[in-house]
Amino acid sequence: MQDTISLCLMLIPALPLAAAVLIGALGPRLLKNYSHLPLILALAGSCVCALALYREVGLEQAKSGAQSIAGFEKVITLWTWADIPDAYDLRGTGATAADSGPRAFRLDIALRADALTAMMLAMVTFISTLVAVFAAGYMEGDRGYWRFFAYMGLFVFSMTMLVSVSNFALLFVFWEAVGVCSYLLIGFWYTKPEAAAAGVKAFLVNRVGDFGFALALFLIWCTYGTLNYHDSLPDGSVDAAALEAASSNATAGSPSDAAPAGPALIRGVLGQRRIAAGDYVTGGIATAICLLLLIGACGKSAQFPLHVWLPDAMEGPTPVSALIHAATMVTAGVYMVTRCTPLFAVSPTAQLVVACIGAFTALLAGLIALTQFDLKRVLAYSTISQLGYMFLALGVGTFAGVTSGMYHLFTHAFFKALLFLGAGSVMHAMGGVIDMRQFGGLRRLMPHTHWTFLFGCLALAGIFPFAGFWSKDAIFASLHDKIHELDHEIEHRDEHSHAPAVGQHEGAATHGTSADLHPSPLPKGDGTSPPGPLAKWSDSQLATSRAVYQWLYYSALLTAFLTAFYTFRAFSLTFYGDEVIPHEAGHHAHESPPLMVMPLGVLAVCALLVGILAISNPTNWGTNRLVDFLAGTPSLAAGEIALTKVPEQFHLPIAGISTVVAVAGMGLALYMYLGDRSEARFLQRVFDLQGLNRLTDPQWVLGLERVWWIGATTRFLRRNHLGWLVTLVGYVLAILSLILAAPLLVGNFVTPYKLSLRKFYFDELYAALFVWPLQLAAQIAFWIDRWLVDGLVNLVGRVPPAVGSLMRSLQMGLVQFYALAMVLGSLILIAARLYYAAG
Amino acid sequence: MNDLSLLYNYLLVGAILFVLGMVGFLVRRNMIVMFLCAEMMLQGISLSLVAFGRYHGNLGGQMLVIFIITVAACEAAIAMALILMLARRSGRLDAAAWQDLREESQPPFVDQGVPEERDEEPVWPHLTPAGVAPPPNLSEQLHRPRV
Repeated sequence: MQDTISLCLMLIPALPLAAAVLIGALGPRLLKNYSHLPLILALAGSCVCALALYREVGLEQAKSGAQSIAGFEKVITLWTWADIPDAYDLRGTGATAADSGPRAFRLDIALRADALTAMMLAMVTFISTLVAVFAAGYMEGDRGYWRFFAYMGLFVFSMTMLVSVSNFALLFVFWEAVGVCSYLLIGFWYTKPEAAAAGVKAFLVNRVGDFGFALALFLIWCTYGTLNYHDSLPDGSVDAAALEAASSNATAGSPSDAAPAGPALIRGVLGQRRIAAGDYVTGGIATAICLLLLIGACGKSAQFPLHVWLPDAMEGPTPVSALIHAATMVTAGVYMVTRCTPLFAVSPTAQLVVACIGAFTALLAGLIALTQFDLKRVLAYSTISQLGYMFLALGVGTFAGVTSGMYHLFTHAFFKALLFLGAGSVMHAMGGVIDMRQFGGLRRLMPHTHWTFLFGCLALAGIFPFAGFWSKDAIFASLHDKIHELDHEIEHRDEHSHAPAVGQHEGAATHGTSADLHPSPLPKGDGTSPPGPLAKWSDSQLATSRAVYQWLYYSALLTAFLTAFYTFRAFSLTFYGDEVIPHEAGHHAHESPPLMVMPLGVLAVCALLVGILAISNPTNWGTNRLVDFLAGTPSLAAGEIALTKVPEQFHLPIAGISTVVAVAGMGLALYMYLGDRSEARFLQRVFDLQGLNRLTDPQWVLGLERVWWIGATTRFLRRNHLGWLVTLVGYVLAILSLILAAPLLVGNFVTPYKLSLRKFYFDELYAALFVWPLQLAAQIAFWIDRWLVDGLVNLVGRVPPAVGSLMRSLQMGLVQFYALAMVLGSLILIAARLYYAAG
Repeated sequence: MNDLSLLYNYLLVGAILFVLGMVGFLVRRNMIVMFLCAEMMLQGISLSLVAFGRYHGNLGGQMLVIFIITVAACEAAIAMALILMLARRSGRLDAAAWQDLREESQPPFVDQGVPEERDEEPVWPHLTPAGVAPPPNLSEQLHRPRV
């Protein structure tokens, strides 16, 4: 472990863990109000290590370049957790021939360094350092000060391990560990019933996702015979030279050779050799694996069916919301899907499902966020919505799509953490009040928070040149490219209906204008490039995908509009209008201390600059350092995903459309909420369908004639002997009201406004579908247990006392009596003995 | 006198000692006396053992008896200490003083004292002197139930 990469890889999780243990041990007695110091120091150390790791990985990637099989990875094995030789043999299951054969059950605690991990580590440690600094100010004076920082250290440890382990089993372990930390931190103020309930809710909803995730792991195990990401030898060795020898052995021998000469190579699920060979199971099993993984990702990343826990998780302290429920933990699902790109690449169906779920979640959460009054909840729904964007990008399934999803994850972490910390600053000043109806016009009171929050809002809305603009634009561009590519393939087939479709790669290349300027890191001769994945698709599949992706694009545009709108609605409600300060604020109502403002400033600068700094070539805005860096990840560097790589270019029309949409949303929100907000109230009434139910009121309908233009019309009609027309309209209205009566009664609950306000009744729906039936079953089980099982047990328990009560009368406390009983007993025994001896 | 009849006699004496001790243990409530009775039972047993040892012509019986004596000495020390402590606590040597150790639901054993002797003058029957008419029974004359 001499080299920098190994050292950094071990230090990054070790430092927060050490800090957590230290704070946990010494916090309550010794450290008390200085509990934040060890954690901040440890996180800063981790952050430095992560940046060093990032740099080292970049250098290594540049050095290895084309000679590596598929990108760059470095695996270090810390120790072996379990090793059972010849534990199983997958012959006869769905496994491929190369994966079957007797295998050892072997679990190594292995950490990996590659581009994806390095990026995630840098992001997680950087954000968590800033959040820890913020929390030192925010949590000041809290009874559980040390507890908070201990949990937070534990969380950062789990999260860094989650992104750096090289094994699905360990991924699952730390997947659960971050869930536990999330639970602990949501329920941090456990004396508050809502917080405790929210913690339990988050934990339980995540269990549903974890169930799917666990099933996916079982299926991966049965299919690929290992849970390792990386290739290894049977003894767990990952030495590069030995691996090379083993793999050349395997290829040199005949493929059906049961016993190769050298030690057999165990190809990891996401190992470089497997990716390079493209040796993945396709068809139903692949789709099943991907969909089950997706369920797990949906749980952790709060996607559509399992999104209900994230808004409630806002009961936790705001730094927790910023770190765990906005920037880091909820992106674990996105990370996992990205990591498993080779698995998803072989299942277009799964990709389409990912994209649909992402786009639907983005739209749904955007709609809900429109009407929420809780500032943190608006941000929570916007987090869900942005995560939906990321899933949409991952579901596009091209190299550009996946990397733009990761890029959006990266930028989103900065500005969403900024927004949450800003909300925390507001909450701190307002004495814990977060309802936007109870405060307003805070821009003079909290100028720093106001400006930094504005930066976050601009980035979230996707306004040029903030970070969100670049990443959101990259997603739109990848979606557009995908549609374009599908179009091209359809046209291509129309032209040569029987020719093999090899040309989509070149076709996409001609689309770009700067292909020669930026050759892809993995040069492939155009003539020798294998047919793209689309060639295998059927015509109907192509047409369906084309239509679906087109609709997803429109939906994403609508979501971009909604995002801009609700972001600036929240911004205006909080910082503009009349200055209102709730009485809970008391004398706290002032700008937050420098300790809290400093992280806001740093993050605001990041939100502004991250997007611009990532551009590697000033003449071509489509280039992106981060994407180039990520291209060296084994999962993305080879296989089908690498075939979908097109030269990066900046799509001006697409960026223009999304900017126009965002500016429109922003402008509408500012127009409606900056002034007296009468338009907003009017729109609210319209979307609440107020007035529609008056149609069922005959008095109101008759009274319509008093409206001057209706009255004039009817008088005119009557005068011209057309009174029957008026009667006819009256009858139509009457019938309409009869028809509408029942729906309108229901409609009072499902008006667009109320749907959005009540979160589309998802909580109620889940309560009716799952919670109540389960509670009923639990009640039944409880009664059975109480009366049937316990009854039987108690019955058995009552027998000894009953017998005992018979004997109890003998215990009268007189020694003579006991002695007499003894003598009599012995006499009886002796008599019996004598009798039988004689007989 | 042959060996067997000699053994019978010894066993008889041992049995008498044992039974006497047992009866004493059962009927007396003074703890010291109960203890002495228990010792007497031991002596009965010891005697029997010695007799058997003699009868069989080996030293097993004697050995056991010495053993019993040793144990009895220890037992005596402990028992006397115990009795002393019990007596100090309750102020009595009565074993029934410790009947509080019975089951809760049991009624206490109450000593039924010997009925007290009445102090009044005994009325002795005396005969009517001969030749004197008995005094008239007034109540019989006034109340004549059968009429």
